[in-house]
Amino acid sequence: MLGLGTLMGGIAAAVALLFPWLPKPASDEAGRIDFVFWFAVVICIVIFAIVSAALIYAVINFRARPDDDSDGPPTHGHTKLEVVWTVIPTMLVISIGIVSAIVLGQNDATGKDFMRVNVTAQQFAWSFQYPDGKNMTSGTLRVPVGRSILLTFTSKDVIHSFWVPEWGQKQDTVPGIHPTLHITPNKVGRFPVICTELCGLGHATMRTWAIVMPRAAFDKWLKGTSAAQTSTNTAVSGAAIFKSQPCGSCHTLQAAGTTGKVGPDLDKLPSYAQQAKQPLDSFVSDSITDPNAYTQPGYPKNVMPPFNLPKPQLDALVQYLIQSSKKG
Amino acid sequence: MTAVTADHHVPTAPSQHGPFRRYVFGAGWIRAAWMFCLFGGIGFGLTVLARWGGGWHPILYTQPIVLLSLLVAAPIGFLAGLGTFDYWTYYALGHPTRAEDHSGHGARSWRDYFRVNTDHKVIGVQYLVTTVIFFLIGGMLAMLVRAELARPGTQFFDTQTYNGLFSVHASLMIFLFVIPAFAGLANFAVPLMLGAADMAFPRLNALSFWLLPIAGVMMVSSFFIPDGAFACGWTGYAPLCSSHQPLGAVFFNQGVQWAGASSIMTALNFLVTIITMRAPGMTFWRMPLLVWANFTTSLLVVIATPFIAGSQFFSMFDHVMHTAFFDPGNGGYALGYQHIFWFYSHPAVYIMMLPGFGIMSEVIAVFSRKPIFGYRLMALSLMAIVVLGFSVWAHHMFVSGMATWLRVPMMVTTLLIAIPTGIKIFSWLATIWNGKLHFNTPFLFALGFLSMFVIGGLSGVMLGAVPIDIHVSDTYFIVAHIHYVLFGGSVFTIFAGMYYWFPKMTGRMYSETLGKLHFWLTFVAFNCTFFPMHLIGVEGMPRRVADYAPRFAAWNMFISLSSFALGASVLVFLYNMITSWRHGEIAPSNPWRAMTLEWQVSSPPPTFNFTEIPQVVGGPYEYGVPGAVHAILTPSHATEVPAEVGV
Repeated sequence: MLGLGTLMGGIAAAVALLFPWLPKPASDEAGRIDFVFWFAVVICIVIFAIVSAALIYAVINFRARPDDDSDGPPTHGHTKLEVVWTVIPTMLVISIGIVSAIVLGQNDATGKDFMRVNVTAQQFAWSFQYPDGKNMTSGTLRVPVGRSILLTFTSKDVIHSFWVPEWGQKQDTVPGIHPTLHITPNKVGRFPVICTELCGLGHATMRTWAIVMPRAAFDKWLKGTSAAQTSTNTAVSGAAIFKSQPCGSCHTLQAAGTTGKVGPDLDKLPSYAQQAKQPLDSFVSDSITDPNAYTQPGYPKNVMPPFNLPKPQLDALVQYLIQSSKKG
Repeated sequence: MTAVTADHHVPTAPSQHGPFRRYVFGAGWIRAAWMFCLFGGIGFGLTVLARWGGGWHPILYTQPIVLLSLLVAAPIGFLAGLGTFDYWTYYALGHPTRAEDHSGHGARSWRDYFRVNTDHKVIGVQYLVTTVIFFLIGGMLAMLVRAELARPGTQFFDTQTYNGLFSVHASLMIFLFVIPAFAGLANFAVPLMLGAADMAFPRLNALSFWLLPIAGVMMVSSFFIPDGAFACGWTGYAPLCSSHQPLGAVFFNQGVQWAGASSIMTALNFLVTIITMRAPGMTFWRMPLLVWANFTTSLLVVIATPFIAGSQFFSMFDHVMHTAFFDPGNGGYALGYQHIFWFYSHPAVYIMMLPGFGIMSEVIAVFSRKPIFGYRLMALSLMAIVVLGFSVWAHHMFVSGMATWLRVPMMVTTLLIAIPTGIKIFSWLATIWNGKLHFNTPFLFALGFLSMFVIGGLSGVMLGAVPIDIHVSDTYFIVAHIHYVLFGGSVFTIFAGMYYWFPKMTGRMYSETLGKLHFWLTFVAFNCTFFPMHLIGVEGMPRRVADYAPRFAAWNMFISLSSFALGASVLVFLYNMITSWRHGEIAPSNPWRAMTLEWQVSSPPPTFNFTEIPQVVGGPYEYGVPGAVHAILTPSHATEVPAEVGV
């Protein structure tokens, strides 16, 4: 029995240790979550070992011979035993609860010095706005290493969920409310941002990157990009607008290197316009500002939200799309 | 009840007319067909009339027409045509009700299974066959999902279809297989175990069954309407499902209503039956644990199911009538849906598990030849789960953005609910300990359940811990957990129950060799399919995606191949059930030497179960106690061979 227990515990422990279970933590919070995870896993392995050892021992030793029609001993219960297996699991789960509550408190505590980033989710893209950087927006989340970051979420349409596996923390973005999430990245690098709440057709491809930078490099980037974003309003580049908007997460456009397949292929705009019997430039422009007036056959209706860009930006984007699609 | 006695002289109404009129207007499938169309037409007419009268354009608007005509009115017509409402209609209209001649009771040929039958044993079999059919359809959908997931990128389906596949898969498995399969097993076994002639309300019982195929057909048929099936997951979160989905979403909203109505009616029936129809001497503390399990489950169903009905009505109103219950743009509250939904759907997890616990207690005691260890604590732990089950719903919402203070209390109750569940596991182990174990197929599935449910339960404890849940929620870890609980847990107990009562239901034995083959194939393929999902989930693969990062490709291919093996194992089960039902060895009345009452009558039991009411004199599991008996029956019925052998 003891041997079997050790064997089963050993097998379970081997499974736990041999596979790379959790991603390498890249935030203080993920490190603490890992601790709770392994704390619970150890308790679970012990219970699993006891139960499975008892089960296997019973199967081997209490098998009735084919001709044996007798009954087992009429044991109806054993109060002490029943108290033991009520009290010990209670203590174990309470210990898991206490550890969890402490870690939850630590993970939520931002301290006084933290940086805000406003995260907006919409079908099917993320955008990140920096109040510290003149409210400039970016399609990738760039953050400095070792600083407390408080993300505040807004959803434009349905529920999405923000997750960076290496950071551990996760938060649904819910239309109408603005939940927050606290993260302290502690490793420089590039990590995937994944939407984990089913949000419609493009759910699987609603992804971007979280880029953790050394502090100095981050400050330089923030200053440089915010200055560029506020000053280029006069000479807008269509390519830059295409990049700053979430177009690429649903649409393919060779010139921009995007491969989204939820919406129509933007390299085929001229032939789409022909099918719709509309002049190319007004067709492209209307498809951005009022996308559901006409939907290319073969693609789902009422998926794309209308985009209301300032006139110069819209014109630049339309010209960029027309030129790129003609090349393609 | 009073009306029945007054009119014994009145012959059954349709026989006054010619054969043609009886054929067309008598209760049955022909009348069901034309009444389906008639009611559908009435629904259509009323909708159009209302839109015209109200000046709402376009008058011929698909959504409300499909909803009212196809999803509400036509099914009522179908039920009326089949004859589920006949008795009540006569009664309500003041017609003389027909004397109960029991023509609708019991099965003399296979045709009787396609009628409104009031015999709980026939209804039990109707439930099981229907649910197995939906299990196969749901399983096929799962195979398609796995085929798509075998490689990264999208190969076979566009995203809308893919999202529809897993949504309908889950909805069928939950609402059309696990919940009603337990209802079917209990329908067959509970009245027999209580020493009752039938359920308390046989006509209501028949109606509850016939609501079920309506719900199932509704969910499956959503694939065939323009723009495809509902594709927002079985949880149907608002506002995605309530205002961003094609018409298919309404098929889900309505399908859940029909299935839910069926559940509530059955649960009320079980409660009344168990409270009022126990044989003399059958005190609550002498009831078999299957009866206890269905008593507690029925409490959960009756209290919780109206909540999912509410959530689906609100979601549907948002969709069809453009109300704004869950639309924050117009003053609604998106998270409100989740609170209402999980207030049902967490107790629903126990609705899908407690009857299985009951089956396990029967099977484990009988095949270990020992009394259940700690009988009273087993029953009390069921009650504890019912009470605690209502206080844990928000553990599905730790990352949802709900009030943050709610997380720790919900975590505490969630962790505490593991304790009564643990007590049950340990008590079963203690029952097996020192027993005389007979490894028949039901017992193999019971042992499979014990080991798999422990894994599902432990991963559940981990999920209860908020920080872990925050990391793994909405990933494949969740998918792995629910399949260990619902497949390794519920489905294994359903298989155990089906094999265990198969001789009693059909009067024939199943093939033990095929049964064991089925078990081992299922057990191995199940673990290969679902265990690796824990790993890829923790590593970062989200659920409900058609496409995923290439680094998960190898595991996904392995999972898909294993899932096909798991699918194939079901064919062994089907072959065994069908051939054994037709040609199996004739079953003795008590092949397992069990003490509970259903085994003290012939296999299959006589139409009214007991010729004389049994007198219960002891506990149901007194194996090994010298001279112990559960109940005293007149010996004559054990040998009685009824007419319905050879279906």
